[in-house]
Amino acid sequence: MIDVAALIDQGIKAYVSGRVGEALRSFQEVLEKDPGNPRARSYLLLLHGGATGAVPEVAPVPLPAPDGKGKAASPEGRVPLPGPEGKHPAPAAAPAGEGFAPSPWDEGPAAVATFVLDPDGGLDLQAVADKSDLRPLVPDGSPPPPVQASARKEVDVWMQAAKELFALGDFTGSLELIEKILQVDPDHGNARDYLRQNESTLIAMYESKLGPLVGVPRLAIKPEEVMWLNLDHRAGFLLAQIDGTVDYEALFALSGLPRLDTARILANLIADGVITS
Amino acid sequence: MSDQEPAIGIDLGTTNSVVATVRDGVPRVIPNRAGQALTPSIVAVAKNGKKLVGALAKRQAITNAENTVFAAKRLIGRRWGSKEVEDARRVLPYPLVAGPEGNDVRVQLAGHTYAIPEISAMVLSELKADAEAWFGRPISRAVITVPAYFNDGQRHATKDAGRIAGLEVLRIINEPTSAALAYGFGKQVERKVVVFDLGGGTFDISILDIGKSVYDVVAVGGDTYLGGEDFDRRIIDWLTFGFAKENGGVDLREDKMALQRLKDSAERAKIELSGTSTAAIHLPFLVGGGEGKPALHLDRQIGREKLEELTRDLVDRCIAVTERTLKDAGVRPAQVGEVILVGGMTRMPRVQKAVKDFFAREPCRGVHPEEVVALGAAIQAHALTAPQSGAEVLLLDVTPQNLGIMVVGGYFQTIIPRNTTVPTSETHLFTTVQDNQTAVRIAVLQGASERAVDNELLGEFVLGGIRPARRGEVEIEVTFEISADGIVGVSARDVVTGQQQSITVTATSGLTEEEMKRILDERVDELLEKKQSTQEYELRKDRVGPVLAEIEGLRPAVQEALERTRFGKDAVQKAEGVLARVRQAMDAHDSAALAELEEALERTLQLFKGLAEAGRGQGPGRGDG
Repeated sequence: MIDVAALIDQGIKAYVSGRVGEALRSFQEVLEKDPGNPRARSYLLLLHGGATGAVPEVAPVPLPAPDGKGKAASPEGRVPLPGPEGKHPAPAAAPAGEGFAPSPWDEGPAAVATFVLDPDGGLDLQAVADKSDLRPLVPDGSPPPPVQASARKEVDVWMQAAKELFALGDFTGSLELIEKILQVDPDHGNARDYLRQNESTLIAMYESKLGPLVGVPRLAIKPEEVMWLNLDHRAGFLLAQIDGTVDYEALFALSGLPRLDTARILANLIADGVITS
Repeated sequence: MSDQEPAIGIDLGTTNSVVATVRDGVPRVIPNRAGQALTPSIVAVAKNGKKLVGALAKRQAITNAENTVFAAKRLIGRRWGSKEVEDARRVLPYPLVAGPEGNDVRVQLAGHTYAIPEISAMVLSELKADAEAWFGRPISRAVITVPAYFNDGQRHATKDAGRIAGLEVLRIINEPTSAALAYGFGKQVERKVVVFDLGGGTFDISILDIGKSVYDVVAVGGDTYLGGEDFDRRIIDWLTFGFAKENGGVDLREDKMALQRLKDSAERAKIELSGTSTAAIHLPFLVGGGEGKPALHLDRQIGREKLEELTRDLVDRCIAVTERTLKDAGVRPAQVGEVILVGGMTRMPRVQKAVKDFFAREPCRGVHPEEVVALGAAIQAHALTAPQSGAEVLLLDVTPQNLGIMVVGGYFQTIIPRNTTVPTSETHLFTTVQDNQTAVRIAVLQGASERAVDNELLGEFVLGGIRPARRGEVEIEVTFEISADGIVGVSARDVVTGQQQSITVTATSGLTEEEMKRILDERVDELLEKKQSTQEYELRKDRVGPVLAEIEGLRPAVQEALERTRFGKDAVQKAEGVLARVRQAMDAHDSAALAELEEALERTLQLFKGLAEAGRGQGPGRGDG
C-alpha cells in the first residue's frame, strides 16, 4: 500500500508535469489517510489558488475539525476556494488553527490563479504563460524588467513549492519551478541558491547512475537499432560521440551542452539500455 | 633496452601531428593514448572549461568554434599584418590579435591571449605525454619537422614551442628531407626525389637533390589552402543538398551539432573510400524535425566514383601546381628518380593515379604516407642521440634560406646560400654606385627571390664616412657570420678607411625573452600545482575513504531501520546526494570538492550511525514530517 509520503511525492510529480487531475486525486487520498497532513493541504490550496471561474470540480476532502477528529471544516466539506472573481477568502474565513494547518499561504491572500486546465485535464502551458506574465530570460548586461506585484506573489508561491519539492527529494520538479521563478525574476537570490543546489544534486544523482566518470560507455544495442529509438537530436549527437574511445568526462567536455543536460541524457540512455558503462 | 633516454621525432603538422621513435633499431610510430597514430593539431577550451587537445578538441571544433584553435602552424613565426596572416584571418573562426610589440600574432582563447608557440606547445606537450606513457619514462629530447619554406623566424618559433612543452629541440629539419630519410635515401646513389605532400590543409611539393648524405631542397611549391578538408567539404555539400531536397529545404549547415557530425562522417567516408568502392553514411537523429516532430535521420551511400567526380578539380589543382613547380625548377618529370607520397590524402586512389600518370612512374610505397615524416624525424633524433649506432644519416644544421643584401636595381645578392652548414662566415666585396658617395645602406635579407622586395627584411643599417671617390673605386667589404645558435652578424667596412658598421640579427618567434621566461615559470608553477593537488587529493582520499567504507558498512542496518519506520527517509535521501557527490569528486580526483564535502560526509556518517542504532534497538520512530 502506498504510504502518505509516496502519495505526496506522486501528487507533486503529477502537479509539476501538468497532470492536475491526478495531482488532486493524490492529495485527496493523502488527506483521507492523514486528514491533518499540512503538505497535502498546502498543495491543494496551491492547485486551487484563486482560479478565476474555471475551478475544477474536486471530490469532497475531509478536513480535520478544530478538535482534530477528521470532521469537515466547511459546511460543504470542500477545501475553501476563492470566488469567481478571483477574490480570496479573508483570513478570518479560514484562520490557522481552525481547520487549516499553518501554511505559508495563510499569511496573506493566495496568489492570483495562473493554472488553467486544458480539455484533457493537463496544464495549458500557453495559458499559464499568458496569464502569469512570464518573460524570457534577458541577456547579461541589460537591466531586468520590473517584476509586477502579481507576479511577485506568484513567485513566492512557486518558491515555497520549490522548497518543499526539494525537501521531498523531487529535485527535477523543484528545478522546474525555480526556472519558472527566474524567468519572472532573474535576480531572485533564493531561487538562484536553490537552482545551484538542485542542479548540483541532480547532476550528482544522474552521474551516480553513470558510474565512474573515467568509465568508457559503449553502445548496448546494435547500431542499426538506434534509429528505432525515440531520441531528440541532442541525444543523437551525444550518442554519436559514444564510440568506445571516449570516457564520460570527455563526453561532458565535447557535448557543448550544460552538464545537467548531458548527465540527464546519458543517464536516460543507460536507463533505457541504449548504452552501457 | 638501453638506459639512455630515448629521443623522439615529431611531425608537427597543420592538421595532424605524429610522434615516432627508433626502438631496437626499428623506426616506429608511437600511438597516442587513444591508440591512434595521428593526433589532430587542435587545441580547445570546452564549454565546461576543460582544456582539450587532439581528437577531443577536433570532435567539438564546430560546436565550439570560437574556442577551438586549429591550423596554428599557418601563423607560427609570422608577422602581424603579413599577407599570410591576413589570409588566415579571413578563414579562421577564432580571434587573432597583434602581439604586444605589434609584430607577431596572438590568439584569443577562452578569455586568454596566447602566443602561437604556446598553442603549438600544447600539441607538443600532448605528444610528449603520449611518448612518456608509451615508454613509461620521461622524454625530453626531440627532432621536430617544419616545411622546407619555413624561414628563420618560423623555425625559431617552432623551437620555442618545443621549449615551452619541456622539450630540448635537438634539431629542426625539413619535412621533405625527413620523408626521404625514412625511405633510406641518401646512403648510396645520387638522385632527384620529389616529395608530393597532400595533407589535411596544405599541399606542398618539394624537389630534392639527394646523395652522399646531402639533402638539398632545390625547389618548393604548393598551395597553402588545398588539402583533405577541401575534399571533406565537397562531401558535406553533397550530403547537405541531398538532405535539403528530401526534407523540405532543411539546411544542416545551420545546426552546429549536425554540421559537426556531418564533417566527422564525411571524413570517415572519404578515408573508407580509399579501400572500398562504397561507404555508408548513417546519421540517426541528426537534426530536430520542427515543432512536435521527431528528429530527422540522414542515411546515404557514397561511391568512390561520386567522390572522384566531386573532387576532380582539386586533384587537377595538385597536378597543375606540381607541373608549375617542376617547370620553375627546370626539372622534367622524366628526370625525377623517385616520388614520395606524404599525407593522408595521397591514399586516395585517384590522387595516386594522377601522380603516377604525371611522373610516368609508380610512387614509392612501403611507408605509411601519414607517418613517413615523423619516422624520418625519429631516425634523425636517433642518429643525434645514439651516434654509436652509426647506421643513420646525420643531417647537419644548415641555413634554411639564402642570406644576403640588397644591391643596386633592387636585386638580392646572396652571400650565404641556403643549406650552408653553420657556424659559417662569408665575405663579399662591393663598391659604390655614384661618384663621391659617402654612405651606403645595407639591407639584410633572406629568401629565394632575385628581387629584394620579395624576400624578408631581417634588418638594415647605414655605413657612413666613406671617403669621396669616383664610383666603383671604393671597396666595401660585407661579412656575414652565423653562429652555432643561428645568430646572424652582418658587418660592412670601408677597406681603405677602416670605417665599420654592423648589425646583429636574431631570429625571433615574436616572444620576448621575458615572455618566454614568464611562460616557462608558469609551466613550472602548473606542474607544481598539479603535483600539490595530487598530494592533497591523496591525503583527502585517505581521510574520506574509511568514512565512506564505514557508511557502506552501516547501510544494511539503515535499510532495515527505514523499513520499520519512516523516520529519517528525507534525510537519507539528501545524504545519498552527498554520497553521490563524494564519489563523483573521487572519480574526478577533485580535492577541492572533497574538502567541501568532508563535513557533510561526517554528518552523513552520524546520521547513518543514528539510524542504524534506532533500527537495532529502539523500534519505529515518529512519522515523516
